[in-house]
Amino acid sequence: MSASVIAQYVMNGAMLGMMYALVAVGFTLFFGVLDIIQFSHGDVVAAGAFAGLAAWTLLTAAGVAAPAVLLLAVVLSAVAVTALLGAVVARFIVLPVKGAPQLNVLLVTLMAGTVLRECLRLFYPGGSQPKLFPALLPTSGWDIGGFHLRFDNVILLVSGALLIAGTHLIITRSRLGLAIRAVAQDEETARTMGIDFRRVVLVTFALGSALAAFAGVIDGLYYNEVFFGMGLLLGVIGFAAAILGGLGNLYGAIVGGFLFAALQTIGAVALPFASAYKDVFAFGVVILLMAIRPTGLIGERASERV
Amino acid sequence: MTTPLLSCRRLTRRFGGVVALDGLDLEVEAASVLGLIGPNGSGKTTFFNVVTGLFPANAGEIRFAGAPITGLRPQAVHRAGIARTFQRSRLCLPLSIFDNLMVGNHQHLDHRLWFNLVRRQVLRRQIEENYRAARELLHIFDPPLADRMMEPAARIPMIDRRRVEVCRALISRPKLLLLDEPSAGMTHEETLRLMDDILEVQQKLGGLTIILIEHEMSVIERVTRRCVVLNYGRKIAEGAYAEVSRDPEVREAYLGLE
Amino acid sequence: MRSRAIAALFTALVTAYAWLLLRAESQGAIAALILVGIAAGILAMRTQLLRPVARSLGSNERFAQGLAFAAVVVIALALRDDDFALLLLTRVLIVIVACLGLNVQFGYAGVVNFAGASFFGVGGYTAAVLASSARLPHLLVLLAGGVTAALAGTVLLLPILRTRGHYAALITIAFALLFRTFLEVNDALGGPQGLKLGEMRIGPLRFNDPISAGPFEGSFYLRYIAVALVLVALAFAVVQRLDRSWVGVALDTVRLDEIAAASFGMDIARWKIAAFTVGNFIIGVAGALSAFMIGFIAPNNYSFAESLIFVSILLLGGIGSAWGLSLATAIVILLPEKFQIIQEYRFLMFAALVVLTLLFRPVGLVPRPLRRLVGPPLS
Repeated sequence: MSASVIAQYVMNGAMLGMMYALVAVGFTLFFGVLDIIQFSHGDVVAAGAFAGLAAWTLLTAAGVAAPAVLLLAVVLSAVAVTALLGAVVARFIVLPVKGAPQLNVLLVTLMAGTVLRECLRLFYPGGSQPKLFPALLPTSGWDIGGFHLRFDNVILLVSGALLIAGTHLIITRSRLGLAIRAVAQDEETARTMGIDFRRVVLVTFALGSALAAFAGVIDGLYYNEVFFGMGLLLGVIGFAAAILGGLGNLYGAIVGGFLFAALQTIGAVALPFASAYKDVFAFGVVILLMAIRPTGLIGERASERV
Repeated sequence: MTTPLLSCRRLTRRFGGVVALDGLDLEVEAASVLGLIGPNGSGKTTFFNVVTGLFPANAGEIRFAGAPITGLRPQAVHRAGIARTFQRSRLCLPLSIFDNLMVGNHQHLDHRLWFNLVRRQVLRRQIEENYRAARELLHIFDPPLADRMMEPAARIPMIDRRRVEVCRALISRPKLLLLDEPSAGMTHEETLRLMDDILEVQQKLGGLTIILIEHEMSVIERVTRRCVVLNYGRKIAEGAYAEVSRDPEVREAYLGLE
Repeated sequence: MRSRAIAALFTALVTAYAWLLLRAESQGAIAALILVGIAAGILAMRTQLLRPVARSLGSNERFAQGLAFAAVVVIALALRDDDFALLLLTRVLIVIVACLGLNVQFGYAGVVNFAGASFFGVGGYTAAVLASSARLPHLLVLLAGGVTAALAGTVLLLPILRTRGHYAALITIAFALLFRTFLEVNDALGGPQGLKLGEMRIGPLRFNDPISAGPFEGSFYLRYIAVALVLVALAFAVVQRLDRSWVGVALDTVRLDEIAAASFGMDIARWKIAAFTVGNFIIGVAGALSAFMIGFIAPNNYSFAESLIFVSILLLGGIGSAWGLSLATAIVILLPEKFQIIQEYRFLMFAALVVLTLLFRPVGLVPRPLRRLVGPPLS
């Protein structure tokens, strides 16, 4: 295998890893503040990608052609929609069942995700088919020894990294981050310290979902296609990545995302039987990882043996 | 002293950096009642959890009836003859009181799939035998409740749930009973009543050994002849309640008296 | 006796309603019928009109089961030449069987399974492969469908046993997505086009011939209904006997409190394995019969969305409630098929209904009754 092909795989894996990490960070944030898994997270991501697409469609129809304006509109629209959706899910779906059996929380978020997914399929014009996503970034690039390094990919990777770094700063340095960490540590104590629990939960869900909107947009820009079911795939893998890194652990989620992408890429290289099986392989890896390290590779909470 | 029923040597359990049990040595004589006391967080419940196998010990050894049980899973510990109650009630609330008692008797029930599916007549007789036995036991603790065994556990008040929980632990006729604050939420009189009932069953079963975690010192004084005081996972005193309650270290750590 | 008469009257009403709904063709009439049904349902809940019926049926379950059995037979005979109505009826019966299996996992042991349609599909594909290649009697093929589904489930056992709740859910979701994708890319199993099945045969009976016995003539679906009805009866018997036994107590305890269960000697892994395997076996048998009946299977029938429909049925009916899931199956299967306008929106509609159910009435339509191992079954 030539160096350029390897470079291509690495690029591919890095892009996947960035998307997974962005989604996984959301899962881990939600788990941190509420000890629940937001199973509709993946579908919120898909809704973000479609919101971005809608913004592009509307603006181009209105005659706007400047890529920078379009890109900004796509990103803003995606972020706004997902942040709102995240907060709505938290407010009307998750918080009301807080205290109910875990199974109910799981089911209610999963079904809420199905509602979202089906709404995209049924009500987005032509939503039942994969939709073309516009290429808004320059596709030219540098040729490095037979490997074509595209500008758009570099931009996506760098912006993804900046986003994650920004989130990290918010969590560790800001007052909001302090409140989130306090709630994650101990809800009761946080409440007695005067932290508005509901507000922190809503903001966390908005933040985590907005972050995932970028994953949706990156997905769209990278593959030039979005699909109503894409959230299911991103959600399952993002959740698996979050578990891999140890739920509730921000760094773990990032590492887990890239680790999963690496496994997938290596699998695609190492396993000769066609790329047709690449999703089968990815889900197989999810199942296998759960069997080997159910509590994640990093960080493990002490728990009872039963 | 005869050979102890339960003996622990240098038992240690850590949670992260916190040492919940710190080289604890502890022995319980057969057919006795041992009081286990100490301030909150001194490792009493952790001791129960380690003995019953819910948390593995990091170091040390536990012997029960002469055989080592260190590192056994909770199921095996129970089969060896140890039953317990929980500090916070762990009844299955949607199930009937009778079902809950049968949870305690699981090891004596025939739970093979085929038997339960097909041998319905035999099963019916088993159920009826168990019903009578459960009723008899519950009757000691709470006569009116014994006639309400088909009601969901969610419907009875906390005090009755405590009694059901004690019965659930007793029904399998264990050799050792671990009671984790059975009186939480009870009045003084109710607690004494519960203890008298437990002692009555102890007499009947002949040879039941009990370790009792309890905050009510008058209860400890009344039902135990020996008690162990824990602090920071270590044993700081041992002896009759009257002795340990005079011990200056105990008074400082536990009773809050200078 | 009077209460029995009331129960019989109630069953007769429901039977007549089901018959009307199944044979109605104009969308207007169907819409009206559905509205009547919803109104009656709300009225019954508000006025507690059904209390005596529920008490009567609950206190004498054999009688209730007999009534239900008779009702299905009556409807089937009344609609004997209406292929489409009979197809729907068979489908309802088969999905009831599958959901009874799922109920053992979800409702009793608390083992989440979001791949119900996948195991249904394993049964279906097994039937398709065996019916075309092996000379196995078809009743055995049905059994083989169950066995293969149970075996396929063992792949997931290790990860499911090592994890709980959310994690186990993730595993089964991953499996559901994997299974569907696998079927699509695998040429040996027909790829996206799927596989065809020949007609089902039991002894001299050829299932796809129309029935004519003297003056009686009927659709070939009647035979499938007969088999499906037997399966429902068997599955009901198995599931309810499991529930009303020591096994039921153990499964419930494992679901409700693993720590208490372990502390009293219950082997949690054993019970989860038992529930998962028994459940998948039942689902697989149902899937095999379904494949025979439709005569053609494709990956599309076994998508994750279909798995969610199974789960929705359990939750709408009342988790753990065998009668509840039967009622919910009838609603979830019949409504979109008869009322075509909502066909396209069914996933959306039922998902939304489940969200509302979980938020406002988590016990479902027919809440699971308390287990009473001694004494009359219901007060």
